Amino acid sequence: MSHLAESSTPSRKRSRWEQTLDDADEQLLQARESLPPKRRSKSKTQASRLADSSHTPPLPTGPLAKPLVPSARPRHSIYAPPRILYPSFRPARSVYNYERLNQIEEGSYGVVFRARDKQTGDIVALKKLKLDEEKHGFPITALREVNALMACRHENVVNIREVVVGDTLTQVFVVMDFIEHDLKTLITLMPAPFLQSEIKTLMLQLLSAVSHCHYHWILHRDLKTSNLLMNNRGTIKVADFGLARRYGDPVGVGGLTQLVVTLWYRAPEILLGATTYSTAIDIWSVGCIFAELLLKEPLFQAKSELELISMIFKLLGPPTSSSWPDYTTLPLAKSITLPPQQPHGAALRQRFPYLTNAGLDLLSKMLTYDPEQRITAEEAMQHPYFKESPLPKHPDLFGSFPSAAAGEKRRKPFDSPSAPQRLADYKLITEFDLP
Amino acid sequence: MSRALYPLASLEQVEKSPSREDGIPADLEEDLRAYGCKLIHQAGILLKQKQVAVATAQILFQRFWFVTSMKQFGIGDVGMGALYLASKLEECPLRMRDLINVYDLLLQRAAHAPPSGDFRYAPMSYFGNAFYDLKDALVVAEMQVLKRLGFDVHVVLPYGTLVNYMRLLDLTGREDAVSRAWGYLNDALQTPVYALYPVPTIVSAAILLATRHLHIALPSTPPNCWWELFDAEWDDVWSVCGYVMRLYRTRSAEDEERVKGMLTKKDVRRWLEEHGDR
Repeated sequence: MSHLAESSTPSRKRSRWEQTLDDADEQLLQARESLPPKRRSKSKTQASRLADSSHTPPLPTGPLAKPLVPSARPRHSIYAPPRILYPSFRPARSVYNYERLNQIEEGSYGVVFRARDKQTGDIVALKKLKLDEEKHGFPITALREVNALMACRHENVVNIREVVVGDTLTQVFVVMDFIEHDLKTLITLMPAPFLQSEIKTLMLQLLSAVSHCHYHWILHRDLKTSNLLMNNRGTIKVADFGLARRYGDPVGVGGLTQLVVTLWYRAPEILLGATTYSTAIDIWSVGCIFAELLLKEPLFQAKSELELISMIFKLLGPPTSSSWPDYTTLPLAKSITLPPQQPHGAALRQRFPYLTNAGLDLLSKMLTYDPEQRITAEEAMQHPYFKESPLPKHPDLFGSFPSAAAGEKRRKPFDSPSAPQRLADYKLITEFDLP
Repeated sequence: MSRALYPLASLEQVEKSPSREDGIPADLEEDLRAYGCKLIHQAGILLKQKQVAVATAQILFQRFWFVTSMKQFGIGDVGMGALYLASKLEECPLRMRDLINVYDLLLQRAAHAPPSGDFRYAPMSYFGNAFYDLKDALVVAEMQVLKRLGFDVHVVLPYGTLVNYMRLLDLTGREDAVSRAWGYLNDALQTPVYALYPVPTIVSAAILLATRHLHIALPSTPPNCWWELFDAEWDDVWSVCGYVMRLYRTRSAEDEERVKGMLTKKDVRRWLEEHGDR
């Protein structure tokens, strides 16, 4: 009833500015049906659903179906959300809205602080950008990072809250959610490696984030364990989009640099000087991270690019014309002598003796030479490895750890009672006791 | 989860533009916005920059004046900063010196070119003060655009949407209609509409103008209105058309000259002092 009454009013005549908040909520509801209704009462929602079902014949949904249902209020397609949902222009706030707590780390890009939001009390991470010696205005890398983070909002991507400024134009801080751990420190400090069920959860989260970024035309280009943050509730967040950039179709318009991805996680096509590359480079890194979670140490700990190439060939066998048809066309391929062929997959199996066949299959699909044949993030999430026992562990069941970034100390491991040390004393006593 | 939405002006920002609060009349602000966008466009052509970067710069430029008064920043500097920033955003960065040279030419031409069109450009010296002054202005303007827009420089361009809509309306065979609509989209970049209305509305307006001018009939009687297919509202589409058509009105020679003398904040302040009592 209410729904029909609303729809019969000439909504087109009304200015979109006059829409009430209730209206906005309702449209939000229509646009994203997964969200629970906030303001409307349950009975009302049901009534409108009933009205919907009785008045809308089973038509193909989508924009084309709309004009055929004149009585229904025009529904917005998700590609054209109602005007009221668009954010307004908001100048950057001041950094003095935050209280600085402690320094977390310092990198080439700048310093990261832990801070508290003075209004809400939330703990956040403040990343100060280095702008002092910029000859080209605001650095394009920082611009890419901020843009990528704003564009890639996702459960498993670190949440950017805002960008704030200090007193001068050279003080710019990116405000992000504070996350307790990074996976690298966690792996090195934790006494036992992650369980299979935990690795599956982490990998699914990582793949979901990567596929989300790729869907939005963003390459991360620096995936590694130290760039994966993890909170105490078993959720990982991809961070540090400092090397991320938008890519187009065709890939490589405008030129892509080969100076990307930390060496150990760098895909073979970049090592061999490919001038165009794409989403597959991120998947190679994901494969290296997968292996690192299993091994509790990085897979390829090479000191140079050449050493890395030889390590890769040793583990996966040299590329062949079938495993990598384009190999010979790569700029640096001629300068490399291939080692002799070896039984396919033997070295990989040897390195991961306890991994199931499905797990090994997924790993080798991520570490496939040919970028065209390498598995995509979307496909990897459907891999049988994630459906076999042990099933992925629910994030809530993960243990928590002391956070190094928050300055928390690891509790000393229990000292097991030690063997009596002063045997001599003991002897003395016994001797002394002797009559 | 879908991509975050691009920002548009809020009702409050539309009602009270900072320039009008400072006493700049609405029609003058409109002319200055359009002139600043023309300069961006001219600079883009001279630099052989991609249209995506030029369009992005013009949209950022239009957004900027919803949060800043023209008394505080000149349209020349801000246009230059917006083009520099947009070129980075679209992954086709410009050399600072190239941009500065081009803007120096454009600003000099605006200031000194006689109506006869006989203008000779005197290039600046390589290490001269003029260069460093413009460079400082450029860096400041870029930073101010970022800061005042809260670093949310997400821009969605309308071209892909136009292609889709023309296909849906089965108009891709009418090349004249397609190129006309495309042209209206580009001309609309000189108006504030990209900071006021979502892309589907603007594209619908461009199609409306193109089809009306070419006498192409589209279903327009309720309940079968073609623009509803694209979630556009008639009043909004009509309003966008108004903004675009107003660009083409003939202006008096006086008005034409007026904007050329107001490229910097100093010029604007002087004008305000002279005309402030109106």
